[in-house]
Amino acid sequence: MTKLNILPLPTFARLGVNYTEREVAAFKREEITVPDGAEQQIIKFVSPCSETVVTVGKGAALKLVVIFADKQSCAARLVTTLDDSAKLDLIQLYLGDDTVSEIVTELKGCKAAFTAEIGYDLGAGDKLDINLVANHYGRKSMSEIAVNGVLRDNAQKTFKGTIDFRTGSAGAKGSEKEDVILMNEAVVNKTVPVILCDEEDVEGSHGATIGRIDEKHIYYMQSRGIPEEKIYELITRARLSKIIGKIGDEQAEKRIYTILGWSDDIE
Amino acid sequence: MKEKTQVADINRSLYDFRYDEDESSFLDSGITPGIIREISAEKGDPEWMTEFRLHSLEIYNRLKMPDWGPDISGLNMDNIVAYIRPKKGMQSDWNEVPDDIKETFEKLGIPQAERESLAGVGAQYDSELVYHNVRKEVAESGVVYTDLESAMHDERYAEMIRSHFMKLVPPTDHKFAALHGAVWSGGSFVYVPAGVKLEIPLQSYFRLNAKGAGQFEHTLIIVEDNAYLHFIEGCSAPKYYEASLHAGCVELYVGNNSTLRYSTIENWSKNMYNLNTKRATVGEGGKVEWVSGSFGSHVSYLYPMSILNGRGARAEFTGITFAGEGQNLDTGAKIVHNAPETSSYMNTRSISKSGGISTFRSAVTINENAVGSKSAVSCESLMLDSISRSDTIPSMVVKTDKADVGHEARIGRISDEAVFYLMSRGLDENAAKALIVSGFADNVSKELPLEYAVEMNNLINLEMKGSIG
Repeated sequence: MTKLNILPLPTFARLGVNYTEREVAAFKREEITVPDGAEQQIIKFVSPCSETVVTVGKGAALKLVVIFADKQSCAARLVTTLDDSAKLDLIQLYLGDDTVSEIVTELKGCKAAFTAEIGYDLGAGDKLDINLVANHYGRKSMSEIAVNGVLRDNAQKTFKGTIDFRTGSAGAKGSEKEDVILMNEAVVNKTVPVILCDEEDVEGSHGATIGRIDEKHIYYMQSRGIPEEKIYELITRARLSKIIGKIGDEQAEKRIYTILGWSDDIE
Repeated sequence: MKEKTQVADINRSLYDFRYDEDESSFLDSGITPGIIREISAEKGDPEWMTEFRLHSLEIYNRLKMPDWGPDISGLNMDNIVAYIRPKKGMQSDWNEVPDDIKETFEKLGIPQAERESLAGVGAQYDSELVYHNVRKEVAESGVVYTDLESAMHDERYAEMIRSHFMKLVPPTDHKFAALHGAVWSGGSFVYVPAGVKLEIPLQSYFRLNAKGAGQFEHTLIIVEDNAYLHFIEGCSAPKYYEASLHAGCVELYVGNNSTLRYSTIENWSKNMYNLNTKRATVGEGGKVEWVSGSFGSHVSYLYPMSILNGRGARAEFTGITFAGEGQNLDTGAKIVHNAPETSSYMNTRSISKSGGISTFRSAVTINENAVGSKSAVSCESLMLDSISRSDTIPSMVVKTDKADVGHEARIGRISDEAVFYLMSRGLDENAAKALIVSGFADNVSKELPLEYAVEMNNLINLEMKGSIG
């Protein structure tokens, strides 16, 4: 067994969030380099055991879309280094099965920027363990992490998100937010939003909401004649569609809607 | 260049006086079966307690040091004196307390507080209680407030002690809980009968005077149904260069529809390793309120835990931590929702300065059976310079869909906009910053009893001196 997704600063051992253990084969390594000043968009449907190492040069921008859709166990690692004014916009979707995913972003450069939009829709037997770490080194670097997901049946999910303001990252800002909808009494959700701070002049924030759909929303929609099961489905679709809509590639979006069985959403 | 704020370090002069100890009253340092038997014999333990101590020692030797929190490698257990014989037995008349001890507590204001605002007082000096007293009318209401050893030897309470002692915090919980089980000494026992609402607080004060020693007091409080208690705990020690250890244990049993408010100001000296364990179980409709100020110690591990076992039980945790030079204070709280419709609220503030490290660590667990439960956590951290450190590590584990859990946290420096706003209203920069810092702590200090809020202000002594950094 290999220890994966190690929390940068461990917490109470009994919570079982400090790391996860899996049998994993050797990682297939892929390198992506975005030269200084360039702009690039990459869409990947992840294969099991992959490690992607990304370097984004000065003033360059990468929009990286990663879809975890294969119905098989998967361990993946994405390590990105951002130079001065470099930008990574990451969109990730997790659509099921047993996935261990680590995302490490090194904001090395001044004004480096990292945004992440992460969505998941997990059902019977699905397990997901995400360990996202944004290391701020550069002055005025910025990270913004938004995670939205739905857990059904007996799905289990752990999201660990760490914003680490290292010495020298003066003026940096980081925020993370996770909103989770729980749809079955057998689900297990673990959320660990961490901020580590070794620099005075920074702003960090994190928030999380975990629970059912607001009863007021359910009541409103029921009063419009929508049955309760349909309401949950609609809200799930609304959450994920918002992320899918940001991919900006019709073919990829169609493929995702087909995987999700939402073909009626394809225009 | 940005202007920096200087905040004076905690003024400890009030607490740093000390008296020489007669070292012949010390047991040998180290933790061995021989030492444990000697402590047990000194205290006249019943047989079950001697066995409990020896069993705890076995567990202590088996368990590993915690590897997830601040470094405690500077704590050499072979050098810690676990027990110091008292000069004189416990007194209920203040005049009978030995002079140097009496003077210590008088400097700390304990007898005055008893006269003015408390229903009862306990004072522990090193390993044993030296004074315990409770007002006549409080005793007549059936409230028991005494030292744990006396209660254990009193046939009215002996069985109650045996059935509750270290049942909430078993020695297997962690290494220092096991150590506590082996060498515990002193502490208070409080019993509040059903239907009794004690409007004025009880207070225990723990003072560790000896150098290189440990203090291992045990506080056991049982509040029966439909009752109310406010219990205040204060701790301090003079400064030495040798490491000292505080590994106390607090167990609170809160009955149905009862409320227990437990307020603490920890002001150990900066050579202290404060590895304290506090835990409460709350019955149906009951409530535990923790108010906690952590200012002293070199290293702290402190996470009061509330286990909400009855339907509709509630927990509130309000805490402030101030980490200055040479301090690594790892504090927070744990809450377990173990029954339907339970609720919890955590509200904390941390301040780091002069290289101090402050960590907020929390765990909220909502179990499968806690349907309809709610929890909210709010933590804010303030960095007063760039050589300090502040971390927040909250965690939420939810095992049912019928729960609502919210969390928010912020970390940062004094806002320039806020300073500008106050200056535009006529305050000078120093006064503006002082106001912001004191306002930052105010959410917590207003939850403290008045005399402790005053003590907290003395402790923080926020003398804001604006300077160009």
